[in-house]
Amino acid sequence: MKLLIIIPAYNEAENIETVVDHLIEHYPQYDYVIVNDGSRDQTPEICKRKNYRYIDLPINVGLTDGVQTGMMYAYRNGYDYALQFDGDGQHDPRFIETMLEAMAECDICIGSRFVTEKKPHGLRMLGSNIIQATLKLTTGKTVKDPTSGMRMFNRATMKAMAENADYGPEPDTLAHLMRSGAVVKEVQVEMHDRTAGESYLNLSRSIKYMTHMCFSIIFIQWCRKKVKLKGGNRK
Amino acid sequence: MSIVLRISLIAVSFLVLLFVLKKIRRSQLYIDDAIYWIVSAVLLLIISIFPQIAIFASELFGIQSPANFVFLFMIFIVLIKLFNMAIELSVQKHRLNRLVQKLALVKAEDEHFKEP
Repeated sequence: MKLLIIIPAYNEAENIETVVDHLIEHYPQYDYVIVNDGSRDQTPEICKRKNYRYIDLPINVGLTDGVQTGMMYAYRNGYDYALQFDGDGQHDPRFIETMLEAMAECDICIGSRFVTEKKPHGLRMLGSNIIQATLKLTTGKTVKDPTSGMRMFNRATMKAMAENADYGPEPDTLAHLMRSGAVVKEVQVEMHDRTAGESYLNLSRSIKYMTHMCFSIIFIQWCRKKVKLKGGNRK
Repeated sequence: MSIVLRISLIAVSFLVLLFVLKKIRRSQLYIDDAIYWIVSAVLLLIISIFPQIAIFASELFGIQSPANFVFLFMIFIVLIKLFNMAIELSVQKHRLNRLVQKLALVKAEDEHFKEP
């Protein structure tokens, strides 16, 4: 059973060393690959100097195609599972083990903050709740933490992510894959605040993201052609 | 349609034709892409030489002035082209990203899996 941890990195020079060194030191049983998405800072130099395993995209292609590059790498090189893992220290590799165990009965496993923990109220979680509602509306399933970026894919869903255009690592792709029959399971994890650098999401970006996601899940995904998923855990 | 509008439209059609042909001569525009503009310019030319077409069409659709029909017609032409270009742009973006991904993958796999 081979797992590949995909770490998309765009201008992550401040965090990438801590995150990857931690992985290498404490979790040598897992393979990882960094996808440098045309960073303009020291990210590729650090990867080279530290002899990390990385894919160097010469221009910035965006998160969607960046993660897809990782998925292609995982699929082409015969990995059984691929994990999308943030390069900014938010995700904790402690929980990879339980996620791997959960893969026995699902196609996509989400490292979720709100399985056993209650979702806190407030503006920050409003977005999460709205997306959860749209997912419930369109797929009939409940995903408690749809915006979590820690997701593990099996061969079937990895292939779909690797081969098709516009499969962003976002909740709308999740909706699409679920409508195509993928089984999604959530596993309780803890997440940390970013160790350094500024978060990408500010208020206006959050609003734009939310509008984009809701619109995509409600209006666009239903007219998308369903993808054929082979193997995995579908009946 | 006033005579001034007609003369302007004829002049514009000729200018567009000349400009497109110049670009083809210099190989700055593919012939496939140029045909759209040539056809549009010729259509505009026909309408301005024979304003009866615009008058007939505006009466048919209940548009008050034939000039308004000409504007509507041109807006349609531009909208169609705009939409096609949006599609073309998406295709180009997709191709460019795929190319970059393949390039980076080949290079990475070469380094990661080479025999020691």
